[in-house]
Amino acid sequence: MTRLIDGREMVPPEPLELTLAALDTLPEGEEVVLLVNCHPVPLFEILRRSGSTWTETIHADGTHEIRIRRR
Amino acid sequence: MGPIASFEQRPTISVPFRFLLTAPLYGVAAGLLLAWLGADALASRWSSGALALTHLLTTGFLLQAMFGALLQFIPVAAGGNVWRPKLLVAIVHPVITTGGVLLSASLLAWHPGGLRLAAVLLALGSAGYALAIGMALVRTSATGAAVRLLRASIVALMVTVGLGVALVQTLAGPLQTPFVETANLHAAWGLAGWALLLFAGVCMYVVPMLQLTPSYPAWLGRVLAPGMLASLLGASILALWPSDFAWQGAAVGVGLLLAMVFAVTTLWLQHRRRRPRADATLYFFRSAMLSLLATGGLYALRWTWDGVQAAAPMLIGVLFLVGVLVAAINGMLYKIIPFVCALELQRQRAPSAKPSMLQFISSKAMNGQWYLHLFALALLLGSTVLPVLAQAAGLAFAASCAWLEWNLLEAVQRYRGLRGPVHAIVAVGES
Repeated sequence: MTRLIDGREMVPPEPLELTLAALDTLPEGEEVVLLVNCHPVPLFEILRRSGSTWTETIHADGTHEIRIRRR
Repeated sequence: MGPIASFEQRPTISVPFRFLLTAPLYGVAAGLLLAWLGADALASRWSSGALALTHLLTTGFLLQAMFGALLQFIPVAAGGNVWRPKLLVAIVHPVITTGGVLLSASLLAWHPGGLRLAAVLLALGSAGYALAIGMALVRTSATGAAVRLLRASIVALMVTVGLGVALVQTLAGPLQTPFVETANLHAAWGLAGWALLLFAGVCMYVVPMLQLTPSYPAWLGRVLAPGMLASLLGASILALWPSDFAWQGAAVGVGLLLAMVFAVTTLWLQHRRRRPRADATLYFFRSAMLSLLATGGLYALRWTWDGVQAAAPMLIGVLFLVGVLVAAINGMLYKIIPFVCALELQRQRAPSAKPSMLQFISSKAMNGQWYLHLFALALLLGSTVLPVLAQAAGLAFAASCAWLEWNLLEAVQRYRGLRGPVHAIVAVGES
């Protein structure tokens, strides 16, 4: 299953807060998909520290799609 | 060679905050100094009082706030890593703090030895900082308008410092330079170069992201930095070498036009923001952009209408320094400090830490301080034509900056309150 967080209409750091909250309760094997308008460096830093893995895809409309899994 | 530093070396909260929390104190000092000196300080831009006040704001309020903001902004927004930020701040902060106070005191009391020492301190502090930040900006893989503008602003900072040292060496040393022209260029590179380019760079990133507006037009991002630098360079060459007045006007006009286009674009984008709720940063940025338009209009009028010649320099100075730059920084601080506090608590990843940015400074306090800022600005502008208002203007400005400091300290206090239990929980969990 995938949990979608559309952060494109949110003011930072709200997307980061929601993503981390979602990761806290994410069952194994599932992923969080975050949509934002920028390259979220602070989020990546936290994910790197916690050992989570992610992929980032930039779409034509400028949306950054980040798929995150907990290790 | 590998990356400059890992993300683990991203500045801790105390690194940018040391600069950011010092900045408003210079504003308080400037306001109190104006209240003490009264109308004499505004009699001429060359009076010792006016020079001391100007440098309390530029080498104090602006320099401190911009140095702190860049330290936080570059890793987050540009993905750049500043080399040894803790060490950098441990050296640069005391050096420029001492240099800023000494410069204003020496200008006020006219002390050539103090001036020379202040110039050395400010030049060394700024050069060290510019080197570290410049390296981070050159080595980052990020591209785009914001990074280009920040790079250009660092170049302008170094030109400003170089011209400032030349002025001190002319006033209190053996150097002979055309004083008025060099002073004008020092002000132009510092205000329209270093400060405005940095503000524009921050806006290009922050306005669409935090105010949920459309992005700035790509062409503006491409032309703003090279256009402003070319305008400043052209105006510098034409001012120092005998040239046609019309050419000087053209060089300055390009910069003015770009600044005004930037201001109009920002206002237009803010008008089209997707989240209708306004906050204090939006108010401060809007008033800064309107002041920028007024500054540009007044400057253009000065070239074409002799009637405003007498009052124009002081009006332009107050409008640009307080109306544009102090307001812009004020608004920026109200985003940066809560953002960093919230981010830092998230970084600690404790279960009780789910802070929102809105928790750190109340909207009522920030909005109230914006009204006081506007009141102080109106009094300051009024005092350039009605000197009797100078003392009241100084007190109002000091009160506005003190209120800003108080609000920022409240945020830090709340951050500490939230961080305390977090550490306790982590400690219990690990025992």
